[in-house]
Amino acid sequence: MKATVAQLVQLPGVWRGGELEHVVHKVVPTGHARLDAELPGGGWPMGTLSEVLHDGVGIGEVSFLAGALARAADGARMIAWINALHLPYAPALAQAGIPLDRCLVVRPADREDALWAAEQSLKSGACGAVLLWMERFAQEYAWLRRLQMAAESGRAMAVLFRSTAAERHSTPSHLRVVVASDRAQMKVRIPKRRGPPLHQFIPCSGSHSNFLSSRSRSPNVPVLVSSRS
Amino acid sequence: MIAEGPAQRPLVACANRAAADAGIRAGQAVAAAKALAGSLRVIDRDPAAERETLERIAGWASQFTPMVSIDAQGIAMEVESSLRLFDGHAKLTAAVSRGIRELGFSAMLGVAPTPLAARLFARAEVEGRAVRGCLALQDLPERVADLPLFLMDWPDKTLARLTDLGIVRLRDILALPHEGIAKRFGPEIVLSLERLTGRVADPREPYAAPARFRSRLELPAEAEGVEALLFPLKRLLTELEGCSRGRGAGVQRLVLRLEHGRKSHTRLALEFASPEREADFILAIAREKLGRLTLPAATNAIGLRADALLPYVPRSSAWLPGAREQAIEGERLVERLSARLGADRVFGIALADDHRPEKDWKQCHSREGGKPARANAASFRGRRPTWLLPRPHRLVTEDGLPMLQGTLDLTAGPERIEAGWWDGEEVRRDYYVATNARGESYWIYREHRDLSAWYLHGVFS
Repeated sequence: MKATVAQLVQLPGVWRGGELEHVVHKVVPTGHARLDAELPGGGWPMGTLSEVLHDGVGIGEVSFLAGALARAADGARMIAWINALHLPYAPALAQAGIPLDRCLVVRPADREDALWAAEQSLKSGACGAVLLWMERFAQEYAWLRRLQMAAESGRAMAVLFRSTAAERHSTPSHLRVVVASDRAQMKVRIPKRRGPPLHQFIPCSGSHSNFLSSRSRSPNVPVLVSSRS
Repeated sequence: MIAEGPAQRPLVACANRAAADAGIRAGQAVAAAKALAGSLRVIDRDPAAERETLERIAGWASQFTPMVSIDAQGIAMEVESSLRLFDGHAKLTAAVSRGIRELGFSAMLGVAPTPLAARLFARAEVEGRAVRGCLALQDLPERVADLPLFLMDWPDKTLARLTDLGIVRLRDILALPHEGIAKRFGPEIVLSLERLTGRVADPREPYAAPARFRSRLELPAEAEGVEALLFPLKRLLTELEGCSRGRGAGVQRLVLRLEHGRKSHTRLALEFASPEREADFILAIAREKLGRLTLPAATNAIGLRADALLPYVPRSSAWLPGAREQAIEGERLVERLSARLGADRVFGIALADDHRPEKDWKQCHSREGGKPARANAASFRGRRPTWLLPRPHRLVTEDGLPMLQGTLDLTAGPERIEAGWWDGEEVRRDYYVATNARGESYWIYREHRDLSAWYLHGVFS
């Protein structure tokens, strides 16, 4: 009758705080081996909200996701760029292997419109990825929760870009990645993931040449990975 | 209560339940009716409005069968050929009555092999004598036998004489020899009997709806604000959907008119990328647009107009969503976003044939498919930044070196771009990738004619 702890943790759905979650989620590899190894499931999660925190622009905080974005657009799905700082530059996206004809640029007039557009895009199921730039805003937790649910229902990758000041506040998102840069080397740490946080920075290789590396991408299929193997 | 007849002596044409409970019957003099119920509200009958309403319903009903005709005070639909599509009588009649309810009307349906019999059944139901639908022609004389003659559209005089003879039911008159009836009551009575039983054909002219859509709805009470308009709007859109279905059409441009009293009104145009007709979808778009409006006053009527009904491409016909369905979902998303944010705030991007960074890309109307001008991005020699500034930004320099949050190191370049000498917007620049101590990378350039001036043009995010 008595089950040992060792037996219990073998049961499916039982998760210990010390390990990465091993429930199967759909993920898309980012193309950065070190980063993928630290992400639950071995890639950037689809169907959920994630946050990329960064201070300063121009450190490769968008382009390190190029590989994942290209995969998320598979199956004629769109990539929505909502409320971005500047205009996404078409030649750069093309170099990164992101299909331009699936990119949708949305420049809302205010925050409310931006959040609404993000929710609609996620819910519609037409978007594989929705990228949103937004600092702190009113009723933030409730809105993030809504975006999380919309991402689940639309099976889309939702990524919110904001400054690291947001790290002090709790979030309903399932993944939070902090991006920083040393001189020419980009590095990431993962303060929140489905598993123990990763507090030390790990190098995210080739942040500045990833545009070229992501073009030679391996099999063009979404990957379902269980981290327990 | 609705009145008709000469102005000197108007008669009751129709009375609602409250009036009927007070003892008011059709055919009474209005004066007599007023004596029965003091608070009676009398409305003059408006045959033009009745006809228009029937036409609207007929237009809507054309989605079920192309053979819809207006029949006295109702519509006749020849559904024999549509039965298979709609999976039998029961489902078809259910769909029709549900649809008419959605339009805001109530209808009595009669199902029979001849239009006259169907009309008879429907009227019998109004009188409270429900008759089961009859499908086989040979059963018809039996089914109609017990119905009273006054349900037929015969002159009152004829009906009175028949009653005098003790002929009050169809059973009685069908048993009589036709020659005798023709001689006494006129050949048209015999003809209608033969059409009723299907012995003589009863050809009808199908109602041809005009190739545009116009409908107007007076609201029962003035509506403040926008939310209250959605329900009546749904009715109009349901009607539009029916009409469009009947023609295999959709609308690309719709004008919604909100009337506030006599003088003022608000117009709202809805435009779609491709013809649409699904009421729920159009309603969702209209809701976003309406949400942006501030109405000057309460609304008392709404009208909907589409000047062109265009061929409609059916959607969701496949049961496995593929690239095509995905593309349609995308189109709809773009429409929903543009409806609220404005079309200029939602767009796609594409490459263009030029070497100048300002002109080697373009905005395109989302998804209209800007085919890549250059087959691939290989023609770009150097790396391109994620963001391009709308216009280059002059950088401060120190000892001739560009500064941006610290000194910039040139990590790649120069890449020389010289173009545009042919159109007066000449560009002669050397581009570099520059990184500062914080690890931020920028795309900067300097002009040939002034090598000391540095400009920021992009950010490698």
